[in-house]
Amino acid sequence: MSEQVAVSIRRLSKSFDGTEVLRDVDLEVNSGEVVTILGSSGSGKSTLLRCINWLEVPDRGSIHIGGIRIGIDEASGRSMSMRELAKVRARTGMVFQSLNLWPHLSVLHNVTESPIHVLGKSRREAEELAMELLEKVGMAHKKDSYPYTLSGGQKQRVAIARALAMQPQVMLFDEPTSALDPELVGEVLTVIKDLSAEGYTMVIVTHEMDFARAVSDQVVFLDKGIIIERAVPETFFTRPATERVQRFLERQN
Amino acid sequence: MDANAWSMLLEGAWTTLWISAVSIAIGVTAGLAIALIRLARLPVIEQLLVTYISLARATPLVTLTLFIFLTLPTFGINMDRSVAGIMALTLNTTAFNAEIWRAAFQNFSRDQREAALACGMTPTVCFRRIMLPQMVITSLPGLVNEMSFLIKGSPAIAVIGIVDLTRVTNRISAVTYEPLPPILAAAALYMAIIGCLVWTQRIAERKANRLAM
Repeated sequence: MSEQVAVSIRRLSKSFDGTEVLRDVDLEVNSGEVVTILGSSGSGKSTLLRCINWLEVPDRGSIHIGGIRIGIDEASGRSMSMRELAKVRARTGMVFQSLNLWPHLSVLHNVTESPIHVLGKSRREAEELAMELLEKVGMAHKKDSYPYTLSGGQKQRVAIARALAMQPQVMLFDEPTSALDPELVGEVLTVIKDLSAEGYTMVIVTHEMDFARAVSDQVVFLDKGIIIERAVPETFFTRPATERVQRFLERQN
Repeated sequence: MDANAWSMLLEGAWTTLWISAVSIAIGVTAGLAIALIRLARLPVIEQLLVTYISLARATPLVTLTLFIFLTLPTFGINMDRSVAGIMALTLNTTAFNAEIWRAAFQNFSRDQREAALACGMTPTVCFRRIMLPQMVITSLPGLVNEMSFLIKGSPAIAVIGIVDLTRVTNRISAVTYEPLPPILAAAALYMAIIGCLVWTQRIAERKANRLAM
């Protein structure tokens, strides 16, 4: 496997209570690439994203993060221990739909918590990196605030800094703006766009079509757990190959 | 009340205080341990713990104290009165604390936990750094409530001859023939002890405000 591949998903399948949500999904995300996953609700896009860092355990198939298999120890074929799993997971960063900063920690400590207690960085080193990242998402001035004082958009920007602080090989965004008031969506999308310009590898599940079109290198469309279309955004949005996607795009406008 | 009566009273207060403090310390920790074990839902152990909790919650403290003090020697276990008293209080309070902690686990935000795991934390680190600090704050009102119940219920251990703050008032009035002053003084001491607890709870409540996202 080439070093250029950040995430490699092979024949991934997953069912919930007998209902198949993902079927034989193959997806490759190259380093520095932004891949957007689109689809109606219930199409399996969030599940696909949550499988990448093993928050959902797939039934079949394999996922490699930067060449390392997640969830299953490749040598023995057994499930990874919690400790081994955490180690591979740390190679991914995730931003959730829910605004889930840790409320007992200040903004700065939300960002330094994992570098210190997972990576074993010194407090000084972790805080330097955290301030750099908070600067990047425009939240440095709030470093000593507690989450309950922040707006939804500010919380989500801190959540992005928190995920970046682990210096992951890929960032996963699970509908990062769906829980926000409409006027706060823009500030979060701007931060994500800036990250893509800086060359971060990202997989994004979103309902924001204009954003997806602007930021993606590759768009994949999931329908009933199957990727039915993958294309560069220009093609996807102007000349969709399937009738299913045409209908989907018409409904968005 | 003369100086001698006061010194007896303070000695009684000390007995109540240290026996309760030891029971609370063990009870809060053991309650947390039981709640943690119950998360794993181990087949036989789960049933045992459930049985223990319902029995301990249903047994009056006096009954439990007598039971421990009178039955254990027949199994060849002889124990000091204080140890028996601590054991009774602990067995009682642990059951209630286990339920308080269990509720804290059940109500803990799944989203926050997932965020911690996604950041590469192991469940152990997540528990120590993310869950426990918040669970302590949210559980404190319930825990403090249970602590004050324990202190107020602690005169039950006088039944096996421990001279606690309540029992000592009898002894004093047996000499002075004036029951009211020692009882009032004892009441004031109980209030002082529980007042300290309520004060710590207030501080925690102020901290808890920021947990409301």
